[in-house]
Amino acid sequence: MMIKIEKVYKKFGTLEVLKNINMEVAQGEVVCIIGPSGSGKSTLLRSLNHLERISSGRIIIDSELLDERKDDIDVHKISSKKVLEICAELGMVFQRFNLFPHMTVIENVMLSPIRVKKVDKKEAEEQALELLRKVGLLDKKDVYPSKLSGGQQQRVAIARALAMKPKIMLFDEPTSALDPELVSEVLEVIKSLANEGMTMLVVTHEMGFAKEVADRVVFMDNGEIIEENIPDVIFKNPIHDRTKAFLSKIL
Amino acid sequence: MSDRMVRIVEILIDSFLPLLKAGLAFTVPLTIISFLLGLMVAFIIAIIKVLNIKPFVSIASFYVWIIRGTPLLVQLFIIFYGLPSVGITLNAMTSAIIGFTLSVGAYGSEIVRAAILSVSKGQWEAAHALGLTKKKTLFYVILPQAVKVAVPSLSNSFISLVKDTSLAAAVTVKELFQVAQQITARTYEPLWLYMEAAAIYLIFCTILTFGQSKMEVWFSRHMAQ
Ligand SMILES: Nc1ncnc2c1ncn2[C@@H]1O[C@H](COP(=O)(O)OP(=O)(O)OP(=O)(O)O)[C@@H](O)[C@H]1O
Ligand SMILES: [Mg+2]
Repeated sequence: MMIKIEKVYKKFGTLEVLKNINMEVAQGEVVCIIGPSGSGKSTLLRSLNHLERISSGRIIIDSELLDERKDDIDVHKISSKKVLEICAELGMVFQRFNLFPHMTVIENVMLSPIRVKKVDKKEAEEQALELLRKVGLLDKKDVYPSKLSGGQQQRVAIARALAMKPKIMLFDEPTSALDPELVSEVLEVIKSLANEGMTMLVVTHEMGFAKEVADRVVFMDNGEIIEENIPDVIFKNPIHDRTKAFLSKIL
Repeated sequence: MSDRMVRIVEILIDSFLPLLKAGLAFTVPLTIISFLLGLMVAFIIAIIKVLNIKPFVSIASFYVWIIRGTPLLVQLFIIFYGLPSVGITLNAMTSAIIGFTLSVGAYGSEIVRAAILSVSKGQWEAAHALGLTKKKTLFYVILPQAVKVAVPSLSNSFISLVKDTSLAAAVTVKELFQVAQQITARTYEPLWLYMEAAAIYLIFCTILTFGQSKMEVWFSRHMAQ
């Protein structure tokens, strides 16, 4: 298993945002998480690289223990070095891109290989060019992010995440901040990753995309996983009323 | 022209060079040295606070609290007149440099810290997700953006410093204002001499303001957003 999430709870103060989440993602699997706003999708994703700390439960990434806590106290203390090592195996793409505005496109992509993995500059550059070619932005390599459209920025962000050669990619609503006409160029890039066998966890409101690429769709509501199944079942014959209600609202 | 007027003009002309010399020999170096050292202190303090480097955070806060909560003139007196009684005797210029450095460091650290905090949380998160430590994130991602934010405020404090260095006269540094006082004591023309001193400060500040706007243009051009 690439990701194992066991009995995870998360509280913000008294607000319980995740309630007994159990989930596994196998090597090469593409899992889409859908659900209404505030259901805890981002919180769950962010727990996978310590951007949020869970309150209780256990998270294992590629057989390495990332977090084990009980009532907001560490059961096992994981060193921050270890956490960053595990983070480096997880690429994350944010809704709002979060590119580094003072760096050109290629500098954005080269930063972490050079500074974290100590790859030499020449090699990092070759690899960055290759990634930019893959996301179709080779011609923008020396441009600053502010000069790019949202769709282009998001593709750079994907290239930047891939530069660490992650084993798993996490996407948190990668197209929600985009103008409708820019959505497909980003989804195409994500699809191509899926076709290459990348393990992926994608929070999305793009049901068409989920239908097409997901091996499994997880429906979350109010901090719980209500049901999970192959896309065909979730979208055509959902078991739970809450799933039906949600889908009828957005489809 | 009345005799009085002639005398005043003569005094102003005679005193111009000594005043300008004092400005160039003491006011300008005092400002520049204190500012550069102060900037270093400011960045170190801001970084200690932002990274929450444990044993030093409280020392840093204590330092900023003291410096910001007491008058600069009193601080200068303590350093120059007070410290000798515990065996630390510093010459006037050194005392002034230390005093102004500490002052720039304390106020500047708040400017730098605010600039660091103004960089969006998403930048820290993206860097963390890429595996960068907090320290590396600060140096490669956050500080370059924060510097740009801090430049206008920092250059304002630089110009304030030019004027504040006149306080060094009180601890016997022979800077511009001290020389103006001396000439006044000889000539009994305080109005005209202090006006002349003010005019020279004004010239310094005008040149610096010009340089400041040049620098801001440079920064916005070379650190594209
Ligand atoms: N840092 C925080 N402090 C307090 N409450 C938070 C924090 N982050 C999220 N929450 C709350 O946790 C709940 C779940 O938030 P989360 O962002 O995980 O939902 P989501 O499913 O991603 O929603 P959306 O589709 O709007 O992105 C929400 O009620 C939100 O207000
Ligand atoms: Mg969300």
